[in-house]
Amino acid sequence: MLVLPSAILLFAFVLYPSGVAIYTSMTNLSLTGPAALNPRFIGFDNYTKLFSDHTFWRSLVITFWFVLFSAIIGQLVLGLLSAILLKRQFALRPFFNAIILMPNAVPGVVAALMWSSMLASGEYGTLNKIVAWFGVDPQRWLVTFPLSMIIVVNIWRGIGFAMILMNSGLSAISEELYEAARMDGATTWQAFRKITLPLLVPTIFLYLLVSTVTTIAIFALIYALTRGGPAGATEIVGIYIYNQSFGSYQLGYGSAIAVVLLIFSLIIGTFYVRALKVEV
Amino acid sequence: MALSKTSTKAEAGRYGVLIVLSIYCLMPFVWLLVAAFDTNAGLFLETPDSVSLNNFYRVFAEEDGLRWLINSLIVCGGATLIVMLLSGFGGYALSRTNAWWKRPFLYSIILIRVIPPPALIVPLYQVMLALNNGMRWLVLQVVPREHMRDVMQIVGFIDGYLGLILLLATMHLPLALWIMKTYFDSVSPEYEEAAVMDGATFGQRLRRVLLPLAMPGLAASGLFAFIACWDDFLVPLTFVSSPELRMLPIGIFSAFLRANEIDYGLLAAIAIVYTAPAIIAFVLARRFLVQTFGGGLKG
Amino acid sequence: MGTIVLNQVRKSFGGHEVIKGADIRIEDGQFAVFVGPSGCGKSTLLRMIAGLEDISGGEFLLDGKVMNDVSPEQRNIAMVFQSYALYPHMTVAENIGFSLDLKKTPKAEIKRRVGEIAERLQLTPYLNRKPSALSGGQRQRVAIGRAIIKEPSVILFDEPLSNLDAALRVQMRAELQELHRSTGATIIYVTHDQVEAMTLADQIVVLKDGQVMQTNDPIGLYKEPENTFVAQFIGSPKMNLFPAKVESVAGDVVRIRTDAGWPIDLPAIEGLRAGPVQLGIRPESLTLAAPHEPAEIETRTVLSERLGMETYISFETGGEPGIARVPGDHSLPSGTPIRLAVDPSACHIFDNDGRAIRSQSA
Ligand SMILES: Nc1ncnc2c1ncn2[C@@H]1O[C@H](COP(=O)(O)OP(=O)(O)O)[C@@H](O)[C@H]1O
Ligand SMILES: [Mg+2]
Repeated sequence: MLVLPSAILLFAFVLYPSGVAIYTSMTNLSLTGPAALNPRFIGFDNYTKLFSDHTFWRSLVITFWFVLFSAIIGQLVLGLLSAILLKRQFALRPFFNAIILMPNAVPGVVAALMWSSMLASGEYGTLNKIVAWFGVDPQRWLVTFPLSMIIVVNIWRGIGFAMILMNSGLSAISEELYEAARMDGATTWQAFRKITLPLLVPTIFLYLLVSTVTTIAIFALIYALTRGGPAGATEIVGIYIYNQSFGSYQLGYGSAIAVVLLIFSLIIGTFYVRALKVEV
Repeated sequence: MALSKTSTKAEAGRYGVLIVLSIYCLMPFVWLLVAAFDTNAGLFLETPDSVSLNNFYRVFAEEDGLRWLINSLIVCGGATLIVMLLSGFGGYALSRTNAWWKRPFLYSIILIRVIPPPALIVPLYQVMLALNNGMRWLVLQVVPREHMRDVMQIVGFIDGYLGLILLLATMHLPLALWIMKTYFDSVSPEYEEAAVMDGATFGQRLRRVLLPLAMPGLAASGLFAFIACWDDFLVPLTFVSSPELRMLPIGIFSAFLRANEIDYGLLAAIAIVYTAPAIIAFVLARRFLVQTFGGGLKG
Repeated sequence: MGTIVLNQVRKSFGGHEVIKGADIRIEDGQFAVFVGPSGCGKSTLLRMIAGLEDISGGEFLLDGKVMNDVSPEQRNIAMVFQSYALYPHMTVAENIGFSLDLKKTPKAEIKRRVGEIAERLQLTPYLNRKPSALSGGQRQRVAIGRAIIKEPSVILFDEPLSNLDAALRVQMRAELQELHRSTGATIIYVTHDQVEAMTLADQIVVLKDGQVMQTNDPIGLYKEPENTFVAQFIGSPKMNLFPAKVESVAGDVVRIRTDAGWPIDLPAIEGLRAGPVQLGIRPESLTLAAPHEPAEIETRTVLSERLGMETYISFETGGEPGIARVPGDHSLPSGTPIRLAVDPSACHIFDNDGRAIRSQSA
C-alpha cells in the first residue's frame, strides 16, 4: 500500500520505457521523414546493422577505455593514495580532505566549463602555461588528445568519492593488525601488500561495481565539453545513443544501442546484487 | 636517529604528493572564481583589470538567470519533496513487511539503479510525449483554449513542471527507497510499540515518534535526491525547449554555445550561482555518503 | 486491581503455532516471572497481554473482563521494553511525560508528576538530558518511570536487565522489588535467567516450546519439579539424571538401582511400580564421603572447578556424566578416586516420559 505510488512511478518511467525501448529498437522509427509517422516493424534489422556499424564498436571501445582509465585505474589509485596519506591525524588533514572532495560537488556542466578554460588552446591556456614551464609547446588538448583529456577531467571529479570509500574501508582495518605485523617484522610496504590490500578487497570490489555503473552513465560532463567529438573521439555509448537519436533522428537505431547498453547494465547489476548479498 | 630521518623524509613525501593532488583538484576552480568577478573576462586565466560584482548583476538583471534559478529550485525542490515523501512511506513499508513482493521489489530497485539514464532517454521521450498529449486533452476539457499554454507549462510532461518533477523524482527514487529501507531496519519497532503503550493514536505515532526518528534518514535521502536532480543535465536538455522553463545547467550550456562572442564573465557568474547550492548540499550530505554506499549506488 | 487470567491462549504466526494453549493465573499485586529458554514464546505471551499482538485463540481476562479485543492503551497496562525504546529525540522528562502529554494533560500537571517520579527514581538531575547521554542503569530507570507514570494496574517487563552488567543487575533487582512494593501493581517479568526468576518472583511460570511446564513459587519449583525440564532448568549446576530401575518395593522403602549398578533406598512413593525410571539428584545433594562412611557412588573425578567456598566435581558413573557441588575447597586433580554419598530425602523420581512421580502428601 505505502509502496504503491513508488511502484507506479517506477513502472511508468523505468519499466514501461524499457519495454518501449525493446519495441522501438525493432522499428525504423525516426524523428523526421515518413518513418516518424508510420514506423515499420523491421525485426532485428537494427541489431544486424548495429553489429556491422564500426562507429558503434568504436563507441564501445571508447567507453571501455574511459571506464578503465578514469574510474578503475585513475580514481581508484589516486583515491586510495589520498585515503592512505590522509589516514593519520595531522593539522592540515581537514584542509586537504576538503580540497580533494571539492571537485566531487561540482555539477557536470560546470566541471566542463572549468576544464574548457584549463584545456584552452593557444599559449594562454592554463594547462599550456603550466606545461610551458617544463618546456612543452602549447597543445590543442581537446583536439589532439580528446579521450585522454576527458579521462583526466573525470579522474579529477572522482578522486574524492573514491577517497571517502577507501577511507571507510581502511578505518575498518584494526590498528592491532598493523601492530602485530610490525612485531612480525613487516616493512611498511609489506604491511600494505599483505594486510591493507587483501582486507580492502571487498571495498575495492564494491567500489569498482559502483564506479563502473556511474561512469558509463556520465553524460553532462562529456556532452558539454566535447559533445562526443571531435569526430566521435569521445563518444562513449551514452553520448552515442543521444547523438544517434536526437542528432541523426534515428530513434529506432538509437533504441537498439540502448537495449544493448541496458542488457549490459543489468549484467553488472546482477553482480552487484550478488556482491551485496542483499539481506532483506 | 635513523628512524627520525626516514620519517621526516616520509613526511615530506606525504606533503609533496598531497600538494600536487591539491593543485590538480583546485586549479580548475581558479579561473571560474577569477572570471566571475572580472568585468572583462576571457577564456584564459588572467589577472582582472577591474574586479566587480557586475557579472552577477547581469546574470539576474539582464539575463534570465533569476528565472533559471527559480525553475531549477522549483523542479529540484519538487522532485526532492516527492522523493522524501514516497521513500519515507515506501522505505517504512519495505522495512516492516514480510510480504512476498519485498525481495523482488528490492532487487528491482538495485537493478533500476544501474541503468544509465541515456539508455532510457529515447523511450522516455516517447512516453513523455504520450503523457503530454493525454494531459493536453485532459486540460482542454476543463480550461479555455487561451489559458492552455500557461496550464500546460505547469502540468505538462514536455515543457512542463509536472513532467520534469515526476521524472526526476522517479529517477532518484530507488536510491532513496533503499536508504530509507535500510534506515528503518535500524529503527527498532519497539519505539512504535512503546508509543502504542503510551496511548498514541496512529497520527500521533507518525508525527511525534516516527517522523522525528526518521529525520536523519529522510535528510540523507532528500539531500542525495536534491544533489542528483540539481546535477542532472540530460532531462532538462531533452524535455525542455521553451525559454520560460529553462533551468540553470541548460542556461549555462546555451550561454556557452552562443554563436557570437561568448561572455565568459557572465558564464562564470552563472556557473557559480549554480554550483553554490550543490556544494552546500554536498557538505551536508558528506557524512551520509559512506553509509549509503553500501546499499544504493553513488548519490 | 490487576488479576490476570489466561485461558487456553494460543498464538500462531502464519500457520506456525508458537503458543500452544497456555493456562496461567496471576493474582493481583503479584510479581510473576515467565522463564524459559530463548525462543520459547515468553515475549509473545507478554506482548499478547500488552495488546501488541493479537490473540489467535483462547481468552485473556483482566479482573474478570475479556480483554482480547481491547486496544493496548485502554488496558491500563504498561510495558518496559528490552531495548528500553526511549525516544531518542525527547529529553528524559519528555519521555516520562509522553503518555500524559498525548492525553492533553495540562503542562503544569505533567511537570509535577514527572518531578515526583523522577524524585522516586533518582532521575531529577537528568530530566533535561537526552537518553543518549545516560548510563544503562539510568536509561532503565527512565523506562520504568515512563511505565509507572500511567499508574497502571499491570506492568510488563521483557528481559529488562539483559543489557546491564552483572553488578548493576543485582542492584536493579533490588530496585525492582522496591518498585513492586511501592506501586502495588501486578508485575509480569520475562527472563531466560533462572537466577533472576528465583530471586524476584512470587510466582514463576516455566515455559518451553509455547507450553506452560509448571507454575509455582520459587522454592516449590526447586523442591518439587513436575518434570525433568523444570528440574533441570531451575538450579545451577543442573540436576543430574541417571537412568535407573525400581528394583523392589518393600513396606515403606523402595530400592532403586541405577543402570550404573549402584542402589539407593528411598522412602516409599505411592503409585511407584517396578520398571525403568530416571533418578534425579541435585548436585548439592551429593556429598564427599569420608573413607569410613557409606557412599553410593564410587568413581574418579573428570574435572574439578574450585571456586574457593565450594567445589564443582564432574564425574562419570556407568557412562553417564554427573556433577556434584560440595562445600569447601577440595584439591582433586583429574582421575582422583572419590566416593559420593546421596541424600535420599532429596532425590527425585521421574518416569520415562520425564514426569515426576511423587507422593501426594509430599
Ligand atoms: N512476528 C513474528 N513472526 C513470526 N514468528 C515469530 C514472530 N515473533 C516471534 N516469532 C517466533 O515465535 C517464537 C517465540 O518467540 P519469542 O516469544 O520472541 O521467544 P522468547 O521471547 O521466549 O525468546 C520464536 O520461534 C520466534 O521465531
Ligand atoms: Mg524475548
